[in-house]
Amino acid sequence: MLQALADASFGAVVLQSGDWGFVFENADYLLEGTLTTVLLTVASVLLGFLVGFPAGVVEVYGGRVLRAIVGTAGVVLRGTPILVIFFFGYFVFRFGGAFETAIVGLGLRSAAYQSQIFRGSIQSVSEGQMEGARSVGMSKLEAIRWVVVPQALRRSIPGFQNEMTIVLKDTSIAYAIGVAELLTLSRELFIQETTAVMEVFLFASAIYFVLTFTTNRGLDYLGQYYGIPTEESV
Amino acid sequence: MNPLLRLDSVYKSYGDEEVLRGVSLDMEVGDVEVVVGPSGSGKSTLLRCVNRLTEIDDGDIYLDGDRVTAPDTDVNELRRDVGMVFQDFNLFAHKTALGNVTLGLRRVRGMGKVEAREKAMEHLDQVGLGDQADSYPAELSGGQKQRVGIARALAMDPKLILFDEPTSALDPELIGEVTEVMRDLASGGMTMLVVTHEMTFAREAASTMTFLDQGEIVERGPPEQLFDRSERKRTREFLSRITARHGDAQP
Repeated sequence: MLQALADASFGAVVLQSGDWGFVFENADYLLEGTLTTVLLTVASVLLGFLVGFPAGVVEVYGGRVLRAIVGTAGVVLRGTPILVIFFFGYFVFRFGGAFETAIVGLGLRSAAYQSQIFRGSIQSVSEGQMEGARSVGMSKLEAIRWVVVPQALRRSIPGFQNEMTIVLKDTSIAYAIGVAELLTLSRELFIQETTAVMEVFLFASAIYFVLTFTTNRGLDYLGQYYGIPTEESV
Repeated sequence: MNPLLRLDSVYKSYGDEEVLRGVSLDMEVGDVEVVVGPSGSGKSTLLRCVNRLTEIDDGDIYLDGDRVTAPDTDVNELRRDVGMVFQDFNLFAHKTALGNVTLGLRRVRGMGKVEAREKAMEHLDQVGLGDQADSYPAELSGGQKQRVGIARALAMDPKLILFDEPTSALDPELIGEVTEVMRDLASGGMTMLVVTHEMTFAREAASTMTFLDQGEIVERGPPEQLFDRSERKRTREFLSRITARHGDAQP
């Protein structure tokens, strides 16, 4: 089927009706939206990591006050619908355009979830690892940096895969504030040719699927590449 | 001259439970002090107080004349001088045997890659594991893991190594390879403070043996004294029980 799609996009004769033909003629337009979706995902997940990873570390090792602040921020962000976050950003705080708002909204919410992924994986590294590191004279911070974090990051990959998939799909909600991502452009397309509604959304779905699938495979590969033998695997 | 290690009436409680009740002892350079005692007698706590993995409530501990229990002591600096070998190894799971030894050299001692590698290989060879340098902890047997643990401690060139029941997590047939390495260290002049149930090692390698019970030193002296002519009933009872369980300690 993919082969057929690929051929079609180069202008070959199309499967059945003119609706697929319409989709493929406008494939460029949809790929532009795809690019926006990918940029939005990468930027949001990156922001989520840069904020969420330290937040996870703080939730495990931080002082009481810092932990409370980070914990509360996380609870609020996780307890607010993403659309409400977008609307706050776009209509209340108004710090930037729709695209920036979507990145910050998705990024901060992702940070709140990523912090839980990292908190869990840090806590799963046994206390003995910290003691081993301290016993050779590492400071607590050095022990976290050189012993706990490298192990925790590896254990975070499965949870991170889920999170990345969720962010990728939720970029479609940026439609509501008018970001020209894949879903927004798909909708504009079918408004022009209303009979093609199913074909347009099938095409968009296929793109979302390919994106999530390749992302997951990529992270699988990363996990294998950095994998270490564990007591269970030997 | 100062003793290498001095414990001066050390007290430690966990809540209402007094774990150490006025423990004092001196160790000279090259001493091998073996601490024995029933579980819960405070042996492990005693070790952990020396490198301040556990903080004491009262008393003083001196290393080479420096009061390590002083509030302004840099514990990281202290731990460079005091190696530790754990019952559960606590090897870095994401590092190879070599990586386990080099990590401290690189990050704590600030050694270059090549230099750290060379020094680490020296110590892996010393414990007989030069050929396992690239194995991860999960790929090693318990005895091999513990020998990596010893190499990791040795690599920091400590003045003193603490052994916290180093063979207690091992299958019986693997204990020998670890005690053999420890014996080599002892005869090489390393100062060692060892908590163990290995009575053969105690008898043959200890310069001094301490029997700790309920947080107090019941008896302390050369191993022959405790094994063969102890006048303390508690010592005799404990040692006869433990040798019955862990094999004969007769030479």
